Amino acid sequence: MILLAKVALGFGTTLAVAGAYTFREGVIRVDVDEFRQGGSHLHMWVPAAAVPMALRLVPKHHLHCASFQAREAMPVVRAMFHELRNYPNTIFVEVTDGDQHVRIATEFGKLAIDVTEPGENVHLRVPITTVEDVFTQLETAGLQSDIRDGKDDDKDWRN
Amino acid sequence: MPLGGIHMTQHIRGFARYFALAAAAALLLLPLATFAQTSSSSTADRWLHVRVVSSDGRGETVRVNVPLDLAEKILPAINKERLHSGKVRITSADCDGVDIKAILEAVRTSKDGEFVTVQSNDADVRVAKQAGYLLIHVTDKSGKHHMGHHMHKFDKSDDGAEKNEKPEKSESAGNRESKVEVKVPMKVVDALFSAGKDELDVLAALRALSASGDAELVSVKDDENTVRIWLDSKNVSE
Repeated sequence: MILLAKVALGFGTTLAVAGAYTFREGVIRVDVDEFRQGGSHLHMWVPAAAVPMALRLVPKHHLHCASFQAREAMPVVRAMFHELRNYPNTIFVEVTDGDQHVRIATEFGKLAIDVTEPGENVHLRVPITTVEDVFTQLETAGLQSDIRDGKDDDKDWRN
Repeated sequence: MPLGGIHMTQHIRGFARYFALAAAAALLLLPLATFAQTSSSSTADRWLHVRVVSSDGRGETVRVNVPLDLAEKILPAINKERLHSGKVRITSADCDGVDIKAILEAVRTSKDGEFVTVQSNDADVRVAKQAGYLLIHVTDKSGKHHMGHHMHKFDKSDDGAEKNEKPEKSESAGNRESKVEVKVPMKVVDALFSAGKDELDVLAALRALSASGDAELVSVKDDENTVRIWLDSKNVSE
């Protein structure tokens, strides 16, 4: 009986630690509701820590491609999200037009985008640190690609 | 009591004493640290607010709140076309050959007063310097005449529907006047033109703006929209 209790305690502790680790960076929340016949209702909660981990599984050429496409915007986005951490609860943009409402804000350190209109509601919450992590990984992938291309150039030059 | 037991009890007591001290210190210092963090972020921040309110029936409203610190950090990272390192390249062609720097230097060194006053049927323009601010007031009356032409067009038409619209249009025509008021601290203007001859230093202007007090910078009012751009220390627009 005591052994069983010890196993249960170990299992419970492992679950709690794993849960705490997975959710340490918060949760990405996506809610999409389409109020029409056959409209989709998507409610998704993803642990934010899973995103950088998932990015490690993405084939490198895809990351290089994404990095190349985002290259111009990368410094601006990095600077912006780095600074956004200093404004954890702020409304930056709010547009109201009749029944339509768009809001871009930060809420408790998360980027919050809300679009509300009669036929559709979209709510997105992404921890700012996660966005930063993603862009850091993209940047790193771009740098690695540059270095590799540089080596290739050297090889061509030698040939 | 055995000797080992006494040692153990002393260890536990010592640990408990240190733990209690550390906990007490943490409890005392934590609120202070939090307060310092909150106060530093709330007092130093300067916010640029933009508000556009449409006067149509839908009640369209746009509110933008930008912390100047954020803008100052992001601006140097943008290197696109004419904007590089927070500076915008301009050519003499952009200013129609007018030496703006010379004009601003003249304005800066002169005493307070009105520099330009134009009053015509189309527009009233006033450019002045007052208490360290550059003031530009424009009242555009051209919309009134523009609507007048439309009214003639409706008069000529035989269509019944258009005739029904006539009284509404003529009523709004009387108020079709737009007012633009710009109030910029001279320090900001100086900073803007502090770079080279062919450059506008937007970053320096932003820094000067964040150092200046609360002010309403731009106000535009016409029969369709009301636009306000102002600066204060609040992170929400009114």
